[in-house]
Amino acid sequence: MRSGFNLTPLIVGLTAGLCLAGAARASEPAAAAGKTAIEDKIAACVACHGAKGISENPMYPDLAGQYADYLANALQDYKSGARKNPVMAGMAAPLSKQDIQAIARWYAAQPGKLYTPALE
Amino acid sequence: MSQLMRSLLWIGAALMFGLGTAQAAGDAEAGKIKASTCMGCHGVPSYTNAYPTYHVPRLGGQSADYIVSALNAYKNGERNHPTMHAQAESLSDQDMADIAAFITQAPAAK
Repeated sequence: MRSGFNLTPLIVGLTAGLCLAGAARASEPAAAAGKTAIEDKIAACVACHGAKGISENPMYPDLAGQYADYLANALQDYKSGARKNPVMAGMAAPLSKQDIQAIARWYAAQPGKLYTPALE
Repeated sequence: MSQLMRSLLWIGAALMFGLGTAQAAGDAEAGKIKASTCMGCHGVPSYTNAYPTYHVPRLGGQSADYIVSALNAYKNGERNHPTMHAQAESLSDQDMADIAAFITQAPAAK
């Protein structure tokens, strides 16, 4: 380093500060809404799949405790039309890839009745 | 009440009883035998498809009606999955009902 004023700590500090400010700004809209972001995303799902992913109607499957990657794949297939279902296509249409991942992970984490079956 | 009315009421009641069930009622005992192929994938905790790679879904405790509708969707191509299509293609409505009746309350894998 040359003698004189050392800019390195200043540059490191500014960069860190800008990164933190950027991250804080990104999560502001969710906090300001008064609901968590995930509650917003799953609001449309509740009517059929139950408040916590345990369905009260046998035509609509339980989602609670299902594998996250399976759920994410299902939503992606509904969105792309690979899996044909007019209601689910409408549900999946506005979801981004990040939304799909978040929703799938949330349902996978809910306590539920699903388990791996065996013959005996 | 007239004789005709009474007859009509009895016929109506009989029809309602007969047509009441939309799906074949499932027999879990028969389903246990028919579900043995299913366990090859669905009975192995954390089993994944080879491609695309995601977990084979947990079926224990799932709605029996939903399992039947999924099997039908694989059978008629609404759901596109070569292995599941092959599995479902040979199943009758009764087979599907029996398998679903078994799986929904099957013992848990250890």
